[in-house]
Amino acid sequence: MSTAWLPLAATITSLSNFAREMVTSPFAWAVVLAFIGAWLLLPKGPRRGRRLGIAVSLASLALFGWIAPRIGGWLDGSVFLAMSALTIVAALATVTSRDPVYSAIWFGVVLLGTSSLFLYQGAQFLGVATVVVYAGAILVTFLFVLMLAQPEGHAYYDRISWEACVSAGTAAVFVGLMVGTVTRSFEAGSSQKPLQTAAVSAADRATGILHEEHVATLGARIYSQQLVAVEAAGVLLLAALVGAVAIVEQGKKTPAAPAGQSSLGGSSNA
Amino acid sequence: MPSSEVALLQNYLIVGAIVFGIGLLGFLARRNLIVMFLSAEMMLQGVSISLVAWSRYHNDWGGQLLVIFIITVAACEAAIALALVLMLFRRSGKLDAAIWNASREENIAEFKDIEIPEDREETSRFPHLTPAGRRPLVDEESQLYRPRV
Repeated sequence: MSTAWLPLAATITSLSNFAREMVTSPFAWAVVLAFIGAWLLLPKGPRRGRRLGIAVSLASLALFGWIAPRIGGWLDGSVFLAMSALTIVAALATVTSRDPVYSAIWFGVVLLGTSSLFLYQGAQFLGVATVVVYAGAILVTFLFVLMLAQPEGHAYYDRISWEACVSAGTAAVFVGLMVGTVTRSFEAGSSQKPLQTAAVSAADRATGILHEEHVATLGARIYSQQLVAVEAAGVLLLAALVGAVAIVEQGKKTPAAPAGQSSLGGSSNA
Repeated sequence: MPSSEVALLQNYLIVGAIVFGIGLLGFLARRNLIVMFLSAEMMLQGVSISLVAWSRYHNDWGGQLLVIFIITVAACEAAIALALVLMLFRRSGKLDAAIWNASREENIAEFKDIEIPEDREETSRFPHLTPAGRRPLVDEESQLYRPRV
Protein backbone atom coordinates (compact mmCIF):
# COMPACT_ATOMS: atom_id res chain seq x y z
CA MET A 1 0.00 0.00 0.00
CA SER A 2 2.70 2.46 0.95
CA THR A 3 4.81 1.66 -2.13
CA ALA A 4 2.04 2.89 -4.44
CA TRP A 5 2.72 6.42 -3.25
CA LEU A 6 6.42 6.33 -4.07
CA PRO A 7 6.14 7.47 -7.74
CA LEU A 8 3.88 10.32 -6.67
CA ALA A 9 6.33 11.38 -3.99
CA ALA A 10 9.19 11.24 -6.48
CA THR A 11 7.18 13.35 -8.91
CA ILE A 12 6.44 15.91 -6.23
CA THR A 13 10.11 16.05 -5.24
CA SER A 14 11.25 16.53 -8.81
CA LEU A 15 8.57 19.15 -9.38
CA SER A 16 9.65 21.08 -6.30
CA ASN A 17 13.27 20.81 -7.39
CA PHE A 18 12.28 22.15 -10.80
CA ALA A 19 10.35 25.00 -9.18
CA ARG A 20 13.31 25.87 -6.96
CA GLU A 21 15.62 25.85 -9.96
CA MET A 22 13.22 28.10 -11.90
CA VAL A 23 12.86 30.59 -9.05
CA THR A 24 16.62 30.93 -8.65
CA SER A 25 17.49 31.02 -12.36
CA PRO A 26 17.98 34.46 -13.97
CA PHE A 27 16.92 32.97 -17.31
CA ALA A 28 13.40 32.11 -16.10
CA TRP A 29 13.07 35.56 -14.55
CA ALA A 30 14.19 37.16 -17.81
CA VAL A 31 11.48 35.32 -19.75
CA VAL A 32 8.76 36.12 -17.20
CA LEU A 33 9.78 39.79 -17.09
CA ALA A 34 9.84 39.89 -20.90
CA PHE A 35 6.26 38.60 -20.95
CA ILE A 36 5.06 41.12 -18.34
CA GLY A 37 6.90 44.02 -19.98
CA ALA A 38 5.59 43.24 -23.47
CA TRP A 39 2.05 42.83 -22.12
CA LEU A 40 2.22 46.17 -20.30
CA LEU A 41 3.70 47.96 -23.30
CA LEU A 42 1.21 46.78 -25.93
CA PRO A 43 -1.60 49.27 -26.61
CA LYS A 44 -4.73 48.17 -24.76
CA GLY A 45 -6.99 51.22 -24.87
CA PRO A 46 -6.34 53.35 -21.83
CA ARG A 47 -2.74 54.40 -21.30
CA ARG A 48 -1.82 52.72 -18.07
CA GLY A 49 1.38 51.06 -16.98
CA ARG A 50 3.58 52.21 -19.84
CA ARG A 51 6.36 53.44 -17.55
CA LEU A 52 6.20 50.25 -15.51
CA GLY A 53 6.28 48.30 -18.80
CA ILE A 54 9.40 50.15 -19.94
CA ALA A 55 11.11 49.49 -16.59
CA VAL A 56 10.18 45.78 -16.60
CA SER A 57 11.29 45.32 -20.22
CA LEU A 58 14.63 47.00 -19.53
CA ALA A 59 15.11 44.75 -16.49
CA SER A 60 14.38 41.69 -18.63
CA LEU A 61 16.81 42.91 -21.27
CA ALA A 62 19.49 43.42 -18.60
CA LEU A 63 18.92 39.85 -17.37
CA PHE A 64 19.28 38.51 -20.93
CA GLY A 65 22.51 40.49 -21.19
CA TRP A 66 23.62 38.97 -17.88
CA ILE A 67 23.08 35.35 -18.97
CA ALA A 68 24.70 35.84 -22.38
CA PRO A 69 28.38 34.83 -22.50
CA ARG A 70 30.95 37.65 -22.43
CA ILE A 71 32.84 38.42 -25.61
CA GLY A 72 36.41 39.67 -25.86
CA GLY A 73 37.69 42.55 -23.74
CA TRP A 74 35.56 45.16 -21.99
CA LEU A 75 35.70 47.56 -24.96
CA ASP A 76 34.53 44.93 -27.46
CA GLY A 77 31.89 43.75 -25.05
CA SER A 78 30.49 47.17 -24.29
CA VAL A 79 30.40 48.22 -27.96
CA PHE A 80 28.50 45.04 -28.79
CA LEU A 81 26.15 45.49 -25.81
CA ALA A 82 25.39 49.08 -26.82
CA MET A 83 24.60 48.09 -30.42
CA SER A 84 22.39 45.16 -29.48
CA ALA A 85 20.59 47.12 -26.75
CA LEU A 86 19.88 49.90 -29.24
CA THR A 87 18.51 47.38 -31.75
CA ILE A 88 16.28 45.58 -29.25
CA VAL A 89 14.92 48.70 -27.53
CA ALA A 90 14.10 50.25 -30.91
CA ALA A 91 12.44 47.00 -32.01
CA LEU A 92 10.24 47.00 -28.91
CA ALA A 93 9.37 50.65 -29.48
CA THR A 94 8.45 49.84 -33.11
CA VAL A 95 5.83 47.28 -32.20
CA THR A 96 4.40 49.17 -29.22
CA SER A 97 4.12 52.73 -30.58
CA ARG A 98 0.56 53.94 -30.89
CA ASP A 99 1.45 56.21 -33.79
CA PRO A 100 2.42 54.22 -36.92
CA VAL A 101 4.69 57.04 -38.08
CA TYR A 102 6.70 56.66 -34.88
CA SER A 103 6.74 52.91 -35.52
CA ALA A 104 8.30 53.49 -38.93
CA ILE A 105 10.90 55.89 -37.51
CA TRP A 106 11.82 53.44 -34.72
CA PHE A 107 12.15 50.76 -37.40
CA GLY A 108 14.74 53.00 -39.03
CA VAL A 109 16.68 52.90 -35.74
CA VAL A 110 16.40 49.08 -35.76
CA LEU A 111 17.90 49.07 -39.25
CA LEU A 112 20.81 51.27 -38.14
CA GLY A 113 21.38 48.90 -35.21
CA THR A 114 21.38 45.77 -37.39
CA SER A 115 23.65 47.48 -39.87
CA SER A 116 26.15 48.20 -37.08
CA LEU A 117 25.86 44.56 -35.94
CA PHE A 118 26.66 43.46 -39.51
CA LEU A 119 29.68 45.75 -39.60
CA TYR A 120 30.89 44.31 -36.29
CA GLN A 121 30.92 40.85 -37.89
CA GLY A 122 32.90 42.14 -40.86
CA ALA A 123 29.94 42.07 -43.27
CA GLN A 124 30.71 45.46 -44.77
CA PHE A 125 28.60 45.18 -47.90
CA LEU A 126 25.54 44.06 -45.96
CA GLY A 127 25.93 46.88 -43.45
CA VAL A 128 25.88 49.43 -46.26
CA ALA A 129 23.14 47.64 -48.21
CA THR A 130 20.88 47.54 -45.17
CA VAL A 131 21.10 51.29 -44.74
CA VAL A 132 20.80 52.07 -48.46
CA VAL A 133 18.13 49.56 -49.49
CA TYR A 134 16.10 49.14 -46.30
CA ALA A 135 16.31 52.52 -44.61
CA GLY A 136 16.72 54.45 -47.84
CA ALA A 137 14.12 52.77 -50.03
CA ILE A 138 11.79 50.36 -48.24
CA LEU A 139 11.29 52.44 -45.10
CA VAL A 140 10.69 55.61 -47.10
CA THR A 141 8.06 53.77 -49.14
CA PHE A 142 6.39 52.70 -45.90
CA LEU A 143 6.38 56.32 -44.75
CA PHE A 144 4.90 57.43 -48.08
CA VAL A 145 2.03 54.99 -47.71
CA LEU A 146 1.51 55.99 -44.09
CA MET A 147 1.31 59.64 -45.04
CA LEU A 148 -1.15 58.80 -47.84
CA ALA A 149 -3.34 56.52 -45.75
CA GLN A 150 -3.23 57.85 -42.22
CA PRO A 151 -6.42 59.39 -40.89
CA GLU A 152 -6.36 62.30 -38.47
CA GLY A 153 -5.38 61.58 -34.88
CA HIS A 154 -4.90 58.17 -33.30
CA ALA A 155 -7.18 55.61 -34.90
CA TYR A 156 -9.15 53.13 -32.83
CA TYR A 157 -7.19 50.19 -34.21
CA ASP A 158 -3.85 51.73 -33.21
CA ARG A 159 -4.89 51.94 -29.57
CA ILE A 160 -5.86 48.28 -29.16
CA SER A 161 -4.21 44.90 -29.80
CA TRP A 162 -5.36 41.40 -30.66
CA GLU A 163 -5.23 39.48 -27.38
CA ALA A 164 -2.27 41.36 -25.89
CA CYS A 165 -1.75 38.77 -23.13
CA VAL A 166 -1.66 35.72 -25.44
CA SER A 167 0.55 37.47 -28.01
CA ALA A 168 3.04 38.58 -25.35
CA GLY A 169 3.06 35.06 -23.92
CA THR A 170 3.72 33.50 -27.33
CA ALA A 171 6.60 35.85 -28.06
CA ALA A 172 8.10 35.36 -24.57
CA VAL A 173 7.91 31.56 -24.87
CA PHE A 174 9.52 31.70 -28.31
CA VAL A 175 12.36 33.93 -27.11
CA GLY A 176 12.80 31.78 -24.00
CA LEU A 177 13.05 28.55 -26.01
CA MET A 178 15.51 30.03 -28.50
CA VAL A 179 17.74 31.70 -25.90
CA GLY A 180 17.68 28.63 -23.67
CA THR A 181 18.70 26.41 -26.57
CA VAL A 182 21.47 28.75 -27.66
CA THR A 183 22.97 29.23 -24.19
CA ARG A 184 22.79 25.57 -23.17
CA SER A 185 23.78 23.78 -26.36
CA PHE A 186 27.31 25.18 -26.27
CA GLU A 187 28.01 24.26 -22.65
CA ALA A 188 30.93 21.96 -21.85
CA GLY A 189 28.90 18.84 -21.07
CA SER A 190 26.48 19.22 -23.94
CA SER A 191 26.17 16.89 -26.91
CA GLN A 192 26.83 19.71 -29.38
CA LYS A 193 30.61 19.11 -29.50
CA PRO A 194 30.94 19.28 -33.32
CA LEU A 195 30.03 22.97 -33.27
CA GLN A 196 32.90 23.79 -30.95
CA THR A 197 35.44 21.76 -32.88
CA ALA A 198 34.30 23.29 -36.17
CA ALA A 199 35.95 26.59 -35.20
CA VAL A 200 38.18 28.09 -37.86
CA SER A 201 41.63 29.53 -37.23
CA ALA A 202 42.16 33.28 -37.42
CA ALA A 203 44.46 32.93 -40.44
CA ASP A 204 41.75 31.10 -42.39
CA ARG A 205 39.28 33.86 -41.57
CA ALA A 206 41.68 36.56 -42.74
CA THR A 207 41.73 35.00 -46.21
CA GLY A 208 38.07 34.01 -46.06
CA ILE A 209 35.19 35.96 -44.56
CA LEU A 210 37.42 38.77 -43.22
CA HIS A 211 39.26 39.27 -46.52
CA GLU A 212 40.70 42.74 -47.04
CA GLU A 213 38.92 43.14 -50.35
CA HIS A 214 35.58 42.21 -48.88
CA VAL A 215 33.20 43.63 -51.47
CA ALA A 216 35.26 42.38 -54.43
CA THR A 217 35.36 38.85 -53.00
CA LEU A 218 31.64 38.88 -52.24
CA GLY A 219 30.88 40.15 -55.74
CA ALA A 220 33.05 37.48 -57.32
CA ARG A 221 31.18 34.83 -55.31
CA ILE A 222 27.75 36.12 -56.11
CA TYR A 223 28.36 36.42 -59.84
CA SER A 224 30.03 33.02 -60.18
CA GLN A 225 28.56 30.53 -57.70
CA GLN A 226 25.16 32.15 -57.33
CA LEU A 227 24.64 33.39 -60.89
CA VAL A 228 21.39 31.47 -61.40
CA ALA A 229 20.04 32.77 -58.11
CA VAL A 230 20.90 36.34 -59.13
CA GLU A 231 18.97 35.89 -62.37
CA ALA A 232 16.03 34.41 -60.48
CA ALA A 233 16.06 37.34 -58.05
CA GLY A 234 16.05 39.72 -61.01
CA VAL A 235 13.01 37.97 -62.47
CA LEU A 236 11.33 38.11 -59.07
CA LEU A 237 11.93 41.87 -58.81
CA LEU A 238 10.50 42.39 -62.30
CA ALA A 239 7.47 40.25 -61.46
CA ALA A 240 6.91 42.21 -58.25
CA LEU A 241 7.09 45.49 -60.17
CA VAL A 242 4.57 44.30 -62.76
CA GLY A 243 2.38 42.89 -60.01
CA ALA A 244 2.33 46.13 -58.02
CA VAL A 245 1.36 48.12 -61.14
CA ALA A 246 -1.32 45.54 -62.00
CA ILE A 247 -2.80 45.69 -58.49
CA VAL A 248 -3.01 49.48 -58.63
CA GLU A 249 -4.53 49.47 -62.14
CA GLN A 250 -7.13 46.86 -61.21
CA GLY A 251 -7.93 48.69 -57.99
CA LYS A 252 -8.69 51.89 -59.87
CA LYS A 253 -11.56 50.20 -61.71
CA THR A 254 -13.46 49.39 -58.51
CA PRO A 255 -15.34 52.19 -56.77
CA ALA A 256 -13.61 53.87 -53.86
CA ALA A 257 -15.12 54.11 -50.40
CA PRO A 258 -17.80 56.78 -49.84
CA ALA A 259 -16.33 60.20 -49.27
CA GLY A 260 -17.41 60.35 -45.64
CA GLN A 261 -15.68 57.08 -44.81
CA SER A 262 -12.37 57.58 -46.52
CA SER A 263 -10.00 60.40 -45.88
CA LEU A 264 -8.65 60.02 -49.41
CA GLY A 265 -12.21 60.42 -50.74
CA GLY A 266 -12.25 62.96 -53.51
CA SER A 267 -8.53 63.17 -54.08
CA SER A 268 -8.18 59.57 -55.27
CA ASN A 269 -10.23 60.03 -58.43
CA ALA A 270 -7.31 61.34 -60.44
CA MET B 1 40.62 32.03 -30.37
CA PRO B 2 37.80 29.51 -30.70
CA SER B 3 36.04 30.19 -27.40
CA SER B 4 35.57 33.90 -28.09
CA GLU B 5 34.20 33.05 -31.54
CA VAL B 6 31.67 30.72 -29.91
CA ALA B 7 30.69 33.49 -27.48
CA LEU B 8 30.27 35.92 -30.38
CA LEU B 9 28.07 33.43 -32.23
CA GLN B 10 25.95 32.83 -29.14
CA ASN B 11 25.46 36.54 -28.52
CA TYR B 12 24.41 37.14 -32.11
CA LEU B 13 22.00 34.21 -32.04
CA ILE B 14 20.43 35.59 -28.84
CA VAL B 15 20.04 39.07 -30.34
CA GLY B 16 18.60 37.59 -33.54
CA ALA B 17 16.12 35.47 -31.57
CA ILE B 18 14.98 38.47 -29.51
CA VAL B 19 14.53 40.67 -32.59
CA PHE B 20 12.59 37.87 -34.30
CA GLY B 21 10.45 37.40 -31.18
CA ILE B 22 9.61 41.10 -31.00
CA GLY B 23 8.65 41.04 -34.68
CA LEU B 24 6.44 38.02 -33.95
CA LEU B 25 4.83 39.92 -31.09
CA GLY B 26 4.09 42.87 -33.34
CA PHE B 27 2.69 40.72 -36.13
CA LEU B 28 0.39 38.85 -33.74
CA ALA B 29 -0.75 41.76 -31.60
CA ARG B 30 -0.97 44.88 -33.75
CA ARG B 31 -4.01 45.64 -35.87
CA ASN B 32 -2.64 48.31 -38.18
CA LEU B 33 -1.75 46.60 -41.50
CA ILE B 34 1.35 48.74 -42.05
CA VAL B 35 2.69 48.06 -38.54
CA MET B 36 2.10 44.36 -39.20
CA PHE B 37 4.25 44.56 -42.33
CA LEU B 38 6.94 46.46 -40.42
CA SER B 39 6.94 43.61 -37.90
CA ALA B 40 7.33 41.05 -40.69
CA GLU B 41 10.33 42.99 -41.98
CA MET B 42 11.72 42.98 -38.44
CA MET B 43 11.50 39.19 -38.31
CA LEU B 44 13.57 39.10 -41.51
CA GLN B 45 16.14 41.32 -39.78
CA GLY B 46 16.38 38.88 -36.89
CA VAL B 47 17.04 36.01 -39.29
CA SER B 48 19.64 38.09 -41.13
CA ILE B 49 21.54 38.73 -37.88
CA SER B 50 21.71 34.99 -37.20
CA LEU B 51 22.79 34.21 -40.77
CA VAL B 52 25.63 36.72 -40.69
CA ALA B 53 26.80 35.28 -37.35
CA TRP B 54 26.85 31.73 -38.75
CA SER B 55 28.65 33.00 -41.82
CA ARG B 56 31.41 34.44 -39.64
CA TYR B 57 31.59 31.37 -37.42
CA HIS B 58 31.97 28.86 -40.26
CA ASN B 59 34.10 31.17 -42.42
CA ASP B 60 31.60 30.64 -45.23
CA TRP B 61 30.14 33.23 -47.59
CA GLY B 62 26.81 31.43 -47.86
CA GLY B 63 25.18 33.25 -44.96
CA GLN B 64 26.00 36.69 -46.31
CA LEU B 65 24.91 35.74 -49.83
CA LEU B 66 21.59 34.51 -48.45
CA VAL B 67 21.10 37.82 -46.62
CA ILE B 68 21.51 39.66 -49.94
CA PHE B 69 18.68 37.58 -51.39
CA ILE B 70 16.61 38.18 -48.24
CA ILE B 71 16.94 41.92 -48.85
CA THR B 72 15.85 41.42 -52.47
CA VAL B 73 12.79 39.39 -51.48
CA ALA B 74 11.95 41.93 -48.76
CA ALA B 75 11.96 44.70 -51.38
CA CYS B 76 9.57 42.69 -53.59
CA GLU B 77 7.36 41.93 -50.62
CA ALA B 78 7.23 45.57 -49.60
CA ALA B 79 6.25 46.67 -53.13
CA ILE B 80 3.41 44.15 -53.45
CA ALA B 81 2.22 44.52 -49.86
CA LEU B 82 2.10 48.30 -49.96
CA ALA B 83 0.19 48.30 -53.25
CA LEU B 84 -2.32 45.88 -51.71
CA VAL B 85 -2.59 47.91 -48.48
CA LEU B 86 -3.20 51.11 -50.46
CA MET B 87 -5.94 49.43 -52.47
CA LEU B 88 -7.56 48.00 -49.33
CA PHE B 89 -7.39 51.43 -47.72
CA ARG B 90 -8.99 53.00 -50.78
CA ARG B 91 -11.93 50.61 -50.50
CA SER B 92 -12.50 50.72 -46.75
CA GLY B 93 -10.96 53.96 -45.53
CA LYS B 94 -9.18 52.13 -42.74
CA LEU B 95 -5.87 50.37 -42.16
CA ASP B 96 -7.57 48.00 -39.70
CA ALA B 97 -7.01 44.28 -40.13
CA ALA B 98 -10.33 43.52 -38.40
CA ILE B 99 -12.38 45.05 -41.21
CA TRP B 100 -11.68 42.03 -43.42
CA ASN B 101 -13.82 40.09 -41.00
CA ALA B 102 -16.58 41.17 -43.39
CA SER B 103 -15.41 38.51 -45.88
CA ARG B 104 -16.06 35.67 -43.41
CA GLU B 105 -18.25 32.65 -44.13
CA GLU B 106 -21.95 32.88 -43.48
CA ASN B 107 -22.12 30.59 -40.46
CA ILE B 108 -19.37 32.42 -38.58
CA ALA B 109 -20.32 35.01 -36.00
CA GLU B 110 -19.38 38.62 -36.48
CA PHE B 111 -16.30 39.85 -34.65
CA LYS B 112 -17.25 42.30 -31.92
CA ASP B 113 -14.71 44.91 -30.85
CA ILE B 114 -14.39 45.65 -27.17
CA GLU B 115 -15.26 49.16 -26.11
CA ILE B 116 -12.34 51.39 -25.22
CA PRO B 117 -12.62 54.99 -24.08
CA GLU B 118 -12.07 57.73 -26.63
CA ASP B 119 -8.59 59.16 -26.92
CA ARG B 120 -8.83 62.23 -24.73
CA GLU B 121 -7.31 65.55 -25.69
CA GLU B 122 -4.68 65.52 -22.97
CA THR B 123 -3.39 62.03 -23.82
CA SER B 124 -2.52 62.91 -27.41
CA ARG B 125 -1.24 66.38 -26.74
CA PHE B 126 1.90 67.55 -28.47
CA PRO B 127 4.58 69.38 -26.49
CA HIS B 128 4.70 73.13 -26.77
CA LEU B 129 7.20 75.69 -25.60
CA THR B 130 6.24 77.92 -22.71
CA PRO B 131 6.92 81.57 -23.51
CA ALA B 132 9.91 82.94 -21.66
CA GLY B 133 10.99 86.54 -21.09
CA ARG B 134 9.03 89.39 -22.66
CA ARG B 135 8.19 90.36 -26.17
CA PRO B 136 10.90 92.68 -27.48
CA LEU B 137 9.96 96.29 -28.10
CA VAL B 138 9.48 96.95 -31.78
CA ASP B 139 10.69 100.20 -33.26
CA GLU B 140 8.15 100.67 -36.04
CA GLU B 141 10.04 103.53 -37.63
CA SER B 142 13.15 101.38 -38.17
CA GLN B 143 11.06 98.54 -39.58
CA LEU B 144 9.35 100.81 -42.09
CA TYR B 145 12.61 102.48 -43.09
CA ARG B 146 13.87 101.56 -46.55
CA PRO B 147 17.08 102.94 -48.00
CA ARG B 148 16.66 104.84 -51.24
CA VAL B 149 17.31 102.70 -54.24
